[in-house]
Amino acid sequence: MEIVYVYTKKRSEFGRQCNFSDRPAELHVDILPDPSLAANFIDRDPCDVPIQCTQEMSEHEVNTERIEYETCGINHVEGGWPKDINPQEMEQTIRFRKKVEKDENYVNTIMQLGSHMEHCIRQNNAIDIYQEYFEEEEVVEETEEQPSAKTINVFRDPNEVKRTATSLSWHPDGSRKLAVAYSSLEFQKVTKDMSYDSYIWDIENPNKPEMTLKPVSPLVCLEYNSKDSHILVGGSYNGQIAYWDTRKGSQPVEMSTIEHSHRDPVYKVIWLQSKTGTDFFSASTDGQVLWWDIRKMSEPTERLVLDPTKEGKLENALGAISLEFETTMPTKFMVGTEQGLVVSCNRKAKTPAEKIVCTYSGHHGPIYALQRNPFFPKNFLTVADWTARIWSEDIRESSIMWTKYHTASLSDGCWSPVRPSVFFTVKMDGTLDVWDFLFKQNDPTLSLKVCDEALYSIRVQDNGRFLACGSQLGTTTLLEISSGLCTLQKNEKALAAMMFERETKREKILEARHREMRLKERSRSEQSKEDEAKEGEGEESSEELVARIEKEFYEMIETEMKNRGKDEKKEKELDKVRNGDG
Amino acid sequence: SVLDKLTESELFTVAVEGAIGGNAYQHSRVNQWTNNVVEQCLSQLSKLGKPFKYIVTCIIMQKNGAGLQTACSCFWDNTTDGSCTVRWENKSMYCIVSVFGLAI
Repeated sequence: MEIVYVYTKKRSEFGRQCNFSDRPAELHVDILPDPSLAANFIDRDPCDVPIQCTQEMSEHEVNTERIEYETCGINHVEGGWPKDINPQEMEQTIRFRKKVEKDENYVNTIMQLGSHMEHCIRQNNAIDIYQEYFEEEEVVEETEEQPSAKTINVFRDPNEVKRTATSLSWHPDGSRKLAVAYSSLEFQKVTKDMSYDSYIWDIENPNKPEMTLKPVSPLVCLEYNSKDSHILVGGSYNGQIAYWDTRKGSQPVEMSTIEHSHRDPVYKVIWLQSKTGTDFFSASTDGQVLWWDIRKMSEPTERLVLDPTKEGKLENALGAISLEFETTMPTKFMVGTEQGLVVSCNRKAKTPAEKIVCTYSGHHGPIYALQRNPFFPKNFLTVADWTARIWSEDIRESSIMWTKYHTASLSDGCWSPVRPSVFFTVKMDGTLDVWDFLFKQNDPTLSLKVCDEALYSIRVQDNGRFLACGSQLGTTTLLEISSGLCTLQKNEKALAAMMFERETKREKILEARHREMRLKERSRSEQSKEDEAKEGEGEESSEELVARIEKEFYEMIETEMKNRGKDEKKEKELDKVRNGDG
Repeated sequence: SVLDKLTESELFTVAVEGAIGGNAYQHSRVNQWTNNVVEQCLSQLSKLGKPFKYIVTCIIMQKNGAGLQTACSCFWDNTTDGSCTVRWENKSMYCIVSVFGLAI
């Protein structure tokens, strides 16, 4: 509060006498007590009043920095004694020591060495040269090692008459077992004493199969149920489907009735993703794709006829030889046909005509393998005739990437489940090819001759490290590939995605150009037809065309043979030189 | 000057009304209120510009049935000094302000 008052006073009035007088007490305020007012208030009962009578104290925590103690020792090995002195002999060592100590330079050298040694010891104690710096960053070293594969085990068909291992399936939990379906797909090569059995092998024991499955007709394909690892379903040569429970023995638990099964060998069975885990569907070259439920095998639950004219007529149908189903896209599935077309279908369509969505053409022969890339489901791999092709769902006219035409035809293939850019193919000359298109596009990264006879099937384990391939004589080989081929490299997903996009774009542009050119051609040819009729001058007739093409074809073959002959000669000369040296 | 004091009782009532008017008695705020009352009165007095020493006291009492008597006695110069007491009340409390003015 700031109150300032300035006043003036006459000098004559200073020190003026004060006339004091007493004023008696005056009552200023008299308020009489009024109990009625108390009614406005309530007694507070009880009253809590906390009282504490202590010293005020403060609390602090202090912890010194932890020092870690470690005891280290130094390994000191005795050595350095000259040749004629035996270090065990006390006399000799003492004598030698005395001799050395008398040497003139002894003291100087010791002094010098002493300071060096002291420095080293101090350094040793100060810095741990083996300490791991940057421990947290797990730098995945890019292995410079060569990609390689080695055979772990070979499972041979125990029967006298060997059959082809047409299909393989890994056990879903931990992949310790492999189910192999054996049958003979060669026309009329089935002998009376050929066994119908298929086997489940334990990969540790190649001598004897762990379990035998005895179907009524040899199995062409076999699949484990990923939800229940005891159930397997198999499609057989006569078109029937059977399912086994490994707890119940070698006989199938139930088989489909002959009237409602396929009319041709069942080439592929795949389990579907459903709540009950008992649905699967099968494909066969009779042109049908059938859906089944294990609990009721007497009749299929649904049927689709692969008629590209969308009329549902069996006569026009294409024979199905492979199926593709990805659990992340449960309404779509694809069928690879004998005629070289891949048909993409929609399961949820109401009418059979709508079920077939589109077809992809480009292969010349039956499509033996069909699989979507596990990382980029829009792209899928097909293996047929002499090439393997990668397609994008959006481009129907041609594939976006393809391998060169090989000398032997390809019989099966699959993607690696751990690396988006790696896939495997097997050929009829017994070789296994591992392709990594981010590393090399013209040739396989690794080409391995597994056996002398043709390979018919290949399956990779879920960890991407082990794979099994089955051959014509029923020999299943288990291979392990080098870690470089089954560990995800840095940026691999991004690079693979970019590559797919690029190729897809290229194909789209090419398609557009083709369409333009075709339109131009058509308009031009209509004009030229009129001109031709007037002039009568024809181009090469069809026979001349055929003759010319034949001549070209034979010339090509001859040059190829000559090249091969040259290569062989070179090889022989090299061998001679090697043998000559050795 | 004594006459002046009597007329200034109006001034004090206004001051008190301004400081605590309209409030109900609250023990936690009484300290603040007494301070406000005294300050207001004193500032009004100094505005008068008279050569006087002033003493202002303030009593606030809750209305709960108790009685209160105050008195004062002075030894001064009756011709030049004087005092004034103002009593103000509302529903829940009494406020008594005494002002003493002593000539310099």
